[in-house]
Amino acid sequence: MWQKFNRWLRPQHSIPPQWRDKRLSEIPFLSIDLELTSMNLADAKILSIGWVEGKGNQIQLQSCFYQLVSTRAPLHQSPVIHGLTADDIAQGEPVREVLEKLKRYAQSHIWVFHCTNLDMNILQRVFRELGLPLPTIVTLDTLTFGLYQLTRHLRPPPPNSVVLPVCRARYGLPAVPAHNALDDAMATLELLFAQIQKFSPDEAETLASLRITKAVNVFHSE
Amino acid sequence: MIHIPQQTLEFLGSSAPFDLLTEDQLNHLASTITVCYISKGDAEQILEQQRGSLFLINSGQFSVKDSPEKTRHLSEEDYFGCGNVLHKEDHLITMTVDSPGLVYCIPAQTFEWCVSVQPGIGSFFRHYSAEKIHSEQLDDSTSIWMYKPVHEALAQEMISADLNSSILTGVRLMAKHCVSSLVITDNQRLAGIITDRDIRNRVVAEQVDVQQPLSSIMTTEPAKITHQRTLFDALCMMTEHNVNHLPIIDKDSEMPVGILTATDMIRHQRSNVLLLVKALSKATSMHELSRLSWQLPQYFSKHAKRLGDFDIAGKVLSQATDIMTRKLITFFVKEHGAAPMDYCWLVYGSQAREDQTMGSDQDNGLLLATEPDEQAAQYFADLAEYVCRGLDKCGIRLCTGNIMASNPLLRLSVNQAIKEAENWVQSPTPEAILNCNIFLDVRGVAGNIHLLTQLHQARAPLFKQTRFLAALTRHACKSMVPLSVFQKFSYKKGLPKKDCIDLKHSGVAIINDLVRVYSLANGLTMPAIPLRLESLMNQPELSSQNVKNLRDVWLLLNRLRWRHQTQNNAKDNYLSMSDLSSIEKYQLKEAFRVIRRTQQAALFKFAGGSA
Repeated sequence: MWQKFNRWLRPQHSIPPQWRDKRLSEIPFLSIDLELTSMNLADAKILSIGWVEGKGNQIQLQSCFYQLVSTRAPLHQSPVIHGLTADDIAQGEPVREVLEKLKRYAQSHIWVFHCTNLDMNILQRVFRELGLPLPTIVTLDTLTFGLYQLTRHLRPPPPNSVVLPVCRARYGLPAVPAHNALDDAMATLELLFAQIQKFSPDEAETLASLRITKAVNVFHSE
Repeated sequence: MIHIPQQTLEFLGSSAPFDLLTEDQLNHLASTITVCYISKGDAEQILEQQRGSLFLINSGQFSVKDSPEKTRHLSEEDYFGCGNVLHKEDHLITMTVDSPGLVYCIPAQTFEWCVSVQPGIGSFFRHYSAEKIHSEQLDDSTSIWMYKPVHEALAQEMISADLNSSILTGVRLMAKHCVSSLVITDNQRLAGIITDRDIRNRVVAEQVDVQQPLSSIMTTEPAKITHQRTLFDALCMMTEHNVNHLPIIDKDSEMPVGILTATDMIRHQRSNVLLLVKALSKATSMHELSRLSWQLPQYFSKHAKRLGDFDIAGKVLSQATDIMTRKLITFFVKEHGAAPMDYCWLVYGSQAREDQTMGSDQDNGLLLATEPDEQAAQYFADLAEYVCRGLDKCGIRLCTGNIMASNPLLRLSVNQAIKEAENWVQSPTPEAILNCNIFLDVRGVAGNIHLLTQLHQARAPLFKQTRFLAALTRHACKSMVPLSVFQKFSYKKGLPKKDCIDLKHSGVAIINDLVRVYSLANGLTMPAIPLRLESLMNQPELSSQNVKNLRDVWLLLNRLRWRHQTQNNAKDNYLSMSDLSSIEKYQLKEAFRVIRRTQQAALFKFAGGSA
């Protein structure tokens, strides 16, 4: 079941022409993070979502977005991680309204995640369940990007080396509180800028040139 | 409302002066900020796009030139572009990126808004941009009190009356509070003053109706002074305007805060420390001497709590200890007759370097012209015992390490002392180095100073030997500055507070050790660190920039220690981070980095690069 699921979800690596030759410094990014009820891809519900825009190594904090999502799903042990309680969740907005807002960024921005596959699998599933069609989305994964830059020196990577705080410390970025969706989205975007700087200090590289890192994914419209 | 990441709010909220803002204000500030990741490739472009902003560094290291002055090396929690937002200028900012990182750009408009809701923010940056972080000269000023800010000299709270109140109300108010002058306000702003003399000349002599308003008899637009100016400025103004009363107004709000009188000035002059030191030298008995000595710490903790006061306080304390020593020797000689041979009373450590603090204990010894016979030996033993006990009575604690003239091992003849130095140099084991280090900073305080000169001449060539210098250097590099690899402060366990740094052992002492190595290598015999550094300025081993940096760092650490000791009434060296402003934290971090670099350079130069 999972393999079948995975096969049609598997992203294909043809970057749409409007992005392919764009210089990295000119690409608008939207860094997104979700807090979930569980790590189970098939039925995890979104508890909260945070995102922030950035372009050319600059982040306008005005673009920060954070929203709790109302859900009736049981929280299990997840409050231990994200600190959200059932009362908080009850204050949330319906998931449809939140995802409609997110959808506006589908074609204008490259979406950035720390671990794309987890978040995108869930997003795609929820969009589908709501009957909201998603256009083709191009994503960048800071976890994979970090792994690429790490394993060029070290192989295999030391345990825990891909989690966000450890990843950031490697690039000399300050420690931040983890596990609020907006904080993590912000932390991820800052990390991406540091990774791009390391990848191409002279700013000349394009999105296509990032393919070597395996961090770029394309999720085609269904 | 826009949501702002917690990390951003926490960072802004912990960065002085934005910690003054309320939560809502902080949110508004944050929502206008652009966070930039600045690296070599795009620094120029980003600075151009964010032109006119105030910049706050969140991570990374940058060498920035944002004013006509020299380039500054900045990192975490530092600001640049202050001049532009303060004076609405458009000075071009240039930088080299030493390591890329995140910089918060605060638009000029937001900055103005912040100042309007919280005036303290404006005064912080006016102070910040004027502060010469690393270039303050040693101040040879001899009168600390003159440099005290006027608001600290205020004896009591301000007595004021509104200008529409009656003369009678005003005079009764003056009588009630026993003051000779009254601040007259108009809508809480300074409108004028009246003094005893005005009442005599303008009310009684003229037979004015006391129901008239105060405004009819007050002196309008009196000479006034802002609160942060010094007593010296106040004295100048009083003389210039020929007045005895000077209203003090707050620099930012322009509200009156008090009135300074000629009597206040005299009161402060009376507690001048130099008068105290002078009195010490006139003391005629042990009792009198110790009574005066005990006023010193009180004087300092009352009148010299500011950072810069260390510069002179260390010197004054050392001079005072010198005077006490000489007085005690005179008392002893008066009772027991003159010494049987020439001798020199030596002082070591901080007293020798003239950077004594309130916590310093005594370190001293005797240098004798020749080896004494039994009778002479007994004389010097008695002298030493008397002086050391006497110093203890005067508040200079006995040395726990027994580095005192009362210890027979520290009463050597010149020849014995030379022999001892030869032993140190021949077998510079770590223990030998540890033991001899204290004796290498030495100064003669009483007796025949020529004996010490003789010793210096004989020892200087010995101390230049490479094996000895290498051992000294390794010792100086053993102590690590309290910074982690990520340039964060690291705290040792077992100190009184969690966030404490031992300024002596992980800072000042390392510099003293390093400067000593360079001094010995150059045959310098004077012990004071500023004098040593000045002489090293013209030597090839250290660049003049390095020397200046070391002097600034040494001053900073000593000043912080001084403030810690005077303000917390402490004698230890444990500086708590919570006592520091964010600029001071930055300066301290930078200071430790300079020390670390100097350690590495010294190892390379004297010890073949290995610790």
